[in-house]
Amino acid sequence: MWKKAYEWLDERLGLNAMYTNLLDRPEPRGNWWNTLGSASLFLFIIQGLTGIFLTVYYTPSPDHAYDSVQYIMNGVAFGWLIRGIHHWGASLMVIVVFIHLLRVFFTASFKYPRELTWLIGIGLLITTLGMGFTGYLLPWHQMAFWATTVGTQIAGTVPFVGEFILKALRGGPELSALTLQRFFAAHIWMLPAVLAGLIGVHLFLIIKHGESHYPSQDE
Amino acid sequence: MNDETKKQINAKYERELQRGERFWPDSIFKDVVVSLGLFIVLVLLATFVGVENSPKADPSDTSYIPRPEWYFLFLFKFLALYGQIPVLGKIEWLATVLVPTIGIGLLTLLPFIDKSPWRYYTRRMLPLTVMGLIVIDMVLLTMMSDIPTVAEDGSKLLGLLQTTAGLIVPGLALIALFFMAYKRDENPVAPMLWTLGLAAVLMIGFTAVTLALAPPAEAEEAVASTLVDQITAGQDLYSVHCVECHGDDGKVTVIEGVEGLEGKEVSPINSRDVLYTLNDASMAEIINYGRPDAGMNPFGKAYNAEGLTKSEIDYIVLFMRYNWDDRFEKPVFKPLFPPLADGEVPSYDVHIAPMVKRYCVSCHRAGKENNEFVMTSYDEILTTGDNVDRNLVAGDETSYLLQVIQGHAILNEQGEEIIGVMPPKSTLKAEYIDAWIRWILNGMPQTAEDAAKLFVAPTPAP
Amino acid sequence: MSGSFGRRDFIKAATAIVGGVIGVALGVPAIAYLIDPALRASAKEGWVPILKVEDAPVGKLVPFSFTRVQVNGWERTSTNFGGYVLRKSEDPNDMLILNSRCTHLGCTVNWKEDAQAFLCPCHDAKFGRDGEVLDGPPPKPLERFSEFRVSADGLIEIFFKAG
Repeated sequence: MWKKAYEWLDERLGLNAMYTNLLDRPEPRGNWWNTLGSASLFLFIIQGLTGIFLTVYYTPSPDHAYDSVQYIMNGVAFGWLIRGIHHWGASLMVIVVFIHLLRVFFTASFKYPRELTWLIGIGLLITTLGMGFTGYLLPWHQMAFWATTVGTQIAGTVPFVGEFILKALRGGPELSALTLQRFFAAHIWMLPAVLAGLIGVHLFLIIKHGESHYPSQDE
Repeated sequence: MNDETKKQINAKYERELQRGERFWPDSIFKDVVVSLGLFIVLVLLATFVGVENSPKADPSDTSYIPRPEWYFLFLFKFLALYGQIPVLGKIEWLATVLVPTIGIGLLTLLPFIDKSPWRYYTRRMLPLTVMGLIVIDMVLLTMMSDIPTVAEDGSKLLGLLQTTAGLIVPGLALIALFFMAYKRDENPVAPMLWTLGLAAVLMIGFTAVTLALAPPAEAEEAVASTLVDQITAGQDLYSVHCVECHGDDGKVTVIEGVEGLEGKEVSPINSRDVLYTLNDASMAEIINYGRPDAGMNPFGKAYNAEGLTKSEIDYIVLFMRYNWDDRFEKPVFKPLFPPLADGEVPSYDVHIAPMVKRYCVSCHRAGKENNEFVMTSYDEILTTGDNVDRNLVAGDETSYLLQVIQGHAILNEQGEEIIGVMPPKSTLKAEYIDAWIRWILNGMPQTAEDAAKLFVAPTPAP
Repeated sequence: MSGSFGRRDFIKAATAIVGGVIGVALGVPAIAYLIDPALRASAKEGWVPILKVEDAPVGKLVPFSFTRVQVNGWERTSTNFGGYVLRKSEDPNDMLILNSRCTHLGCTVNWKEDAQAFLCPCHDAKFGRDGEVLDGPPPKPLERFSEFRVSADGLIEIFFKAG
């Protein structure tokens, strides 16, 4: 019975082929440093899940953002856990992604044929930092407000186009409801979409070229 | 890179695969174990460290010292140190735009800059040591990020130490590394490692000295986060800032006993007229900007850097709503302090301070008419006032303070009142008076530990 | 890998277990988090003043309304309630206090003097003077606030329970 159902599905989905190509792949002998990439992926998934749950109560408006976050922390069952994981997960993700980059750098895994994987990886790092930057404003407390004020101000020091960039980031000359709303949109829609897309390409390239091996003395 | 090298690389990889492992389950198992470890770390952090709270954003509070997220702190510090460099330091965009852009650019283009097929560590000493240097610098800059570059007394020593640790030493080491990599014929593995090691030791050393010399960070006050905490905070603020004119129940219609506002008519702020017709935002703005024509001072930060923050004003509004607005259910309040057991000695920190804040500080603070008796801290309570030698006398039941809170005004030899009954317009609850009596009779201990030491045998109740 | 439980099977099982543990550890709190508002008891009750006794002449239906504020998460909602007081005699305890919320679908009913009935604008329901159903779809008579008292300063107060 199960066998028949499996065969039916296999015929249509190609489960066996998927298993051999994706999971039963040969790999060079790795060590624990090789887990950092998948750890970043795991953290991305955790951030995605907890982030989705946070939007159930979070309100992106200067009037209510702060109170709704306070409510998540004190009012809702396990709200402190969901937000706690999301908050610390963001920091941990930056650390893990960065150490992953260092590992690739020190083993020179970015060299032929994996140059493109590295490029995508830098894109992932920048997007992750962008997630951190946009997410930090959302609780709308003093630390967040002033950190973003200074952060966008720094972007405003670019010669010639600085003021334009500053206004585009803030949605006006000052931090306002518009800033909060566009940071929210960037944080939950735009950047995650970019991140997911880049992760897809990154993973495709890894499967295509295989994980790199640790260099020996003659390399 | 020619096709021959590419072929060699691919052949080498095939050999590695032959003596390798399988993605499933060998690699995935490791991945899952690490993921579980990270997950446990996250849950522990969320449970035992929690998320730091901060008051609501207040654009008018320009005294707030901004800090970016921790992973941008190294850039923030780099900016501050860069600003110390003469002349160049004034061209800000070099540090804010050019340096990060070059950094990210180099990182991005790495595979196209380092095109050699060499992968083994000893054949890539320059990139490895340079990256090592940068990472160490980033970590140290992050650690030093909270320390000011110019001390309060104007001394630039801290700034100089930080610049040495964060810019000068790594800068010199960088030059040395490049010099060795390009000028020496043989592969200089050992000298380059020694250079990196020496630079690291120096940088860590200077950072350690900076951290040791830095002034200790100020502890931040806890933020009221639950409704009851916020209402309580509002009540304390109300007791300090509003009670004088509006009374502790908000009923006052004619102000009495306040210099400059004597006899002024006010609308009772506990009335439906006020509470039904003004929404929270209007009430907050009235507290913030005052109503100068009607005689009410502004209390917010708009006109006064020492004024109330946005959050504090919101707490006061919450307090008014939940206490006087009959459409609201009153939540259950925590008592000012946990009830005293028989023989327990109250302490300043736990018992006296909350009462002082609620009932005394409104008048007994600097700039008010109070016989110079200031009650804003433990030391001031014991050492200020025209009658300082009689106000609080350890073990003396006739201490002036105990007499006035129990309804006996203090008279001088001519029979004139020198200290009236306190608090002037209300009476303290019996348990509060009891706490004051026990505290003074037992020598006015400051901390809970000091008070606990005095809790030996139950003293007879006064 | 034939029959016996080898290293690879162990690793596979361990992977599945670890994955399951993470799933449960995140899933259970997440479900509690989602359904939390449904589990909250709204036990809001208290005495609410509605009208001065002197404003309600005996034998006349007098409308009243009052507002209650509820805290819903980070936001406060004020809800208006209304009804009619009918004093049946000079005895202050002999009165009928009706909720003007229609028992059919919750529209507000109004007293029409000519019809001598409470009319509901939504589905033409009709209630009599004592709240009994005269016509239309309502399943039961208008609700009564049965717990009431007259305070010392002459205010009619009802005991109000939300939800």
